[in-house]
Amino acid sequence: MSNMAVCVAVIAKENYPLFIKTTPTDNELQFYYTVHTSLDVVEEKISSVGKNANDLRELYLGLLYPTEDYKVYGYVTNTKVKFVVVVESSNTSLRDNEIRTMFKRLHGAYVDMLSNPFYNPGENIVSRKFENVVMGMMKQD
Amino acid sequence: MSRQAARTGDPRKVNGELFTLTYGALVAQLMKDYENDDEVNKQLEKMGYNIGVRIIEDFLARANSGRCNDFRDVADVISKVAFKMYLGITPVVSNWSPAGDEFSLLLENNPLTDFVELPEGHDSLNYSNILCGVLKGALEMIQMDVDVKFVQDHLKGDNITEVRLKFIKRLEDAVPVGED
Repeated sequence: MSNMAVCVAVIAKENYPLFIKTTPTDNELQFYYTVHTSLDVVEEKISSVGKNANDLRELYLGLLYPTEDYKVYGYVTNTKVKFVVVVESSNTSLRDNEIRTMFKRLHGAYVDMLSNPFYNPGENIVSRKFENVVMGMMKQD
Repeated sequence: MSRQAARTGDPRKVNGELFTLTYGALVAQLMKDYENDDEVNKQLEKMGYNIGVRIIEDFLARANSGRCNDFRDVADVISKVAFKMYLGITPVVSNWSPAGDEFSLLLENNPLTDFVELPEGHDSLNYSNILCGVLKGALEMIQMDVDVKFVQDHLKGDNITEVRLKFIKRLEDAVPVGED
């Protein structure tokens, strides 16, 4: 009940979106914009993290930046695929640990989906199972 | 003997993923090459047949299971010994026809299809069709002509994967069908 994201995005290493899911609102475009701007912060963090980014702590980028309504968290895999999660600022009960778990699940679901022989890396993600995992961590109205 | 026992144990877990990914790559490549689901099904069955005629020798050498008295024994050996030995799963034998010449194998989980989701528009693809070929080829080498096909498939939305085996006839002077 408490780990609910408002928007989840998966970005390819070339920085185009593979998958974006938002809670249905009027200004979905706002989320797309937020995710897009957060990529700059992600790039900055990646270049400053050391060469051995094997530790989960270093894959997890933490809070990227807060806006007045939302907080944006980032996570990057060793293959430079990025996950971005947006949560509401009012959701103060969400702890860092829970965000980490969320990313871990996302990463797991991504890997499972990638193992599908019919998915070509770099394609838009249409996998039902992956979507279900994401829906499971998003806020349901 | 002990080394063989280790092979059938848990170390298979790591090789299993490689096997799944390899089979997946194979099917994906076949789909790209032939672009026609039925053609891919046929090719998978052909490949399975070629595997089957060879794997039966390996199986008989390793399993030491003795003669089967009737088709029911065959079904039990296939599900409890053969599947367990090669895929590490034990399908359930069920749905016997009244004449005792047809039965179904129900597979709860299929190691070939871990992580697989069929793409849109390919509903007639029998992803694990290689299994049908393997069974047909193997049984043909022990003088049984069987027809094997998928009835239900987990990948297509059914709850369970079901393979139906139908005994057609006994083969005398079994010479394998010429492989073109």
